[in-house]
Amino acid sequence: MRIEKIFLRNYRQFRQAEITFRRRHDTDLHFVIGSNGTGKTNLLNAINWCLYGDEPHLSKDSQQLPLLNLKTVDRMDVGKENEVAVEVWTETEHGEYITFKRRAVFRKHNDRKITHEGTKFEVTFNDERGNTKIATDEDAITWVERFVPKGIREFFFFDGERLDNYFKEATGQNIRHAVFQISQIDLLENCVERKLQDTLDDLRKEAGKTSPKIEGARTELEQAKNKLNEIEKRINECETQIGVAKNKVAEFGDKLRGVPDIESLEEERRKIETSLKETKELLGAKEEEKKSLLHESGSILMLWPAIKKATQIVEEKKRNQEIPPPVDKGFLEEVLRNKSCRVCGRSLDDSSSKQVRELIKEVETSSEIAQRLVQMEIPLYQFRERAGKYKEQMEDITRNITRYEKTLTEITQRKEQIDSQMAGYDEKLIREWYRERAKFEDLRDQNQRQLGGLLVMKQGAEGAVEKWQKELDTELKKEEKVKGLTKKIAFCERAVDVARSTREAIMKETRERVEVETKRQFFRLVWKKETFGDIRIKADYGIDLIHSMGYECLGSVSAGEREMLALSFTLALHQASGFDSPLLIDTPVARISDVNRENFAKVLCEVSTIKQTILLFTPDEYSEEISRYLGGRASGRYLLKLTSDENEAKVEVR
Amino acid sequence: MAKLPDRLDIDKSDRKLYDHDIITNEILAGRTRKEQFLFAMAVGFKNEVKRPLDSREGFFLAKDMRSEDEALIDSVALHDMGSAEVLSDRKAVFRIAEEYAHAGIKVLYDEATSVQPGSFLKKLELELFSLLDSLNLE
Repeated sequence: MRIEKIFLRNYRQFRQAEITFRRRHDTDLHFVIGSNGTGKTNLLNAINWCLYGDEPHLSKDSQQLPLLNLKTVDRMDVGKENEVAVEVWTETEHGEYITFKRRAVFRKHNDRKITHEGTKFEVTFNDERGNTKIATDEDAITWVERFVPKGIREFFFFDGERLDNYFKEATGQNIRHAVFQISQIDLLENCVERKLQDTLDDLRKEAGKTSPKIEGARTELEQAKNKLNEIEKRINECETQIGVAKNKVAEFGDKLRGVPDIESLEEERRKIETSLKETKELLGAKEEEKKSLLHESGSILMLWPAIKKATQIVEEKKRNQEIPPPVDKGFLEEVLRNKSCRVCGRSLDDSSSKQVRELIKEVETSSEIAQRLVQMEIPLYQFRERAGKYKEQMEDITRNITRYEKTLTEITQRKEQIDSQMAGYDEKLIREWYRERAKFEDLRDQNQRQLGGLLVMKQGAEGAVEKWQKELDTELKKEEKVKGLTKKIAFCERAVDVARSTREAIMKETRERVEVETKRQFFRLVWKKETFGDIRIKADYGIDLIHSMGYECLGSVSAGEREMLALSFTLALHQASGFDSPLLIDTPVARISDVNRENFAKVLCEVSTIKQTILLFTPDEYSEEISRYLGGRASGRYLLKLTSDENEAKVEVR
Repeated sequence: MAKLPDRLDIDKSDRKLYDHDIITNEILAGRTRKEQFLFAMAVGFKNEVKRPLDSREGFFLAKDMRSEDEALIDSVALHDMGSAEVLSDRKAVFRIAEEYAHAGIKVLYDEATSVQPGSFLKKLELELFSLLDSLNLE
């Protein structure tokens, strides 16, 4: 199935536009090229609006504007109505046309107010006899579900800007959901399994009326099942929370990739500053110690000849017993005061007194000198000691200074590194990202722990269900009156088991098919074929991209490679779903580096040989290399341009 | 009996050298007047230069000297005069110290201003090591 034509009237920028995607080559490849604001993404929105009634890719600017084209609004008379219409004409592989049409009526009340008066959606198709039929309401929606089911539309109409985020967002939960949708398992679960279960419950209730034991076992079974359901519901909630948390952790992880860990860096910086201060203080103290040593010991060393001379004089005087002084001045003064000799007792005459007085004078001088020399003795000894230790002390201080200086240099360098790492970043925002990531890591861990407990509880609840199931079966067998009912119950039970195992088998088979097909597509499309070894879609639907060296590498591949994997997965889902619908990608190479653009263009070209591929480019994206490679292979090229008043987009065919 | 001197003097012209930034903030940073004086005296003694003071002004009080400070100036006087008798003449002892300090502070200032800022103490450290090698400390 392919889109043959899109017709737009009064839809946002498109007052009147028609794009026909006619296939002219082996490739069914079409380009729509438009600068930002010309309505490129709104073309994607128009298709979504037509088919599903919503506009998932609407920009913030467009959200402020009415659906009805502004020029049309301007030209409308007050009180009059006008309609927005989008038609998507599709063509089946048998050449039949199915047209999806959505119209919305608006009324103008005054220059500022227009109101939405109603929407009509219909699908035009041909029946087996070739008669044109129109489907509306639920029937119309069924036709849409046959074209591209709403639940999996994101695999058909998507935004290239988000493609490389695809697997970050598409965790196991999303992929399981996709596989679930594609396998149409919901039909089996909702229609068959649930109805069988309801019938089974009714039959058991009926049987319960015949015997209190049966009723007792039935009630217990029902309660055990309710408990099991409750646990399963909680497990689902837990898994959803884990999925959401994992997405968020990955999202913030992406934002923080290459961004410094501000919190840790600031902590380290704080420690460094403290250490810097302490080291500077220690260094300062040692430098001060060194200065003191230089001054004090320096004086001693410079005065060493004088100190040596003084030491010699003191030692000589000591040797000659000149110090301490030989005569006690106090003794002579007492003799003079008493006027008698204290040794022989003779009285002092004038001549003796004169002699004693002269002796006191002499002693006075020699005593002062001797006293000074005695006082010098200890300091001179200390000077000798200090001079002897100077070298060792100075070397020790210098060693310490060198060590502190080295530490200081290292710390300062680290501080500068941190400052340069932190420079240019919005620290507040980064801190917020770290906090958010930590919050979701906590949420993930909490739910994982809870999930562990719930899985154990589930086992217990399953055991209880099994036990009461057996109990009920035993009671039913004992009761003759319910033999007929027992057979019906047994049949229903088997049928429920078959439906359940069929569902699981289909899910498994679909998953395996998607895995094989993703692998096949990826290794066919990827240009670095030797780099990757395998792709696995695990039981929990998480995707692993295995490097040829054997490790998981999805998180570290380039945007181009991730986009390639997303595209391969999408193609695999297309294959598995059986929906041969077109692929429409807005800004397909937005996240791909120049060097890989040509490779990606080749891939898209190959894809377009299998299915219709419509690419919406900005002029920048539609670069020389893209144009060179794809230009000649495109069936159609359409240029979107705004009119001079910027209220209308026109489509030019190139 | 002559009055004992109660302070040690410097030449008036030396005040600006002792107060110069390079001396107060770098070479003899954190040192007291007494310590500055003794260091200048040691520099003068090491360089074997002393100059009589032209005009005197008090620099620090004699009572502030501890026994080791007195031992240093007494040693210089003993070395200069060659006899212990000088010790009884405090005036002479102080004069000898003052004359060495007067010459020493000039030497110190000249040396300090002739090298790169911050390198004087390094130079002094090396000089002291070399001096230490030449001295017979035994």
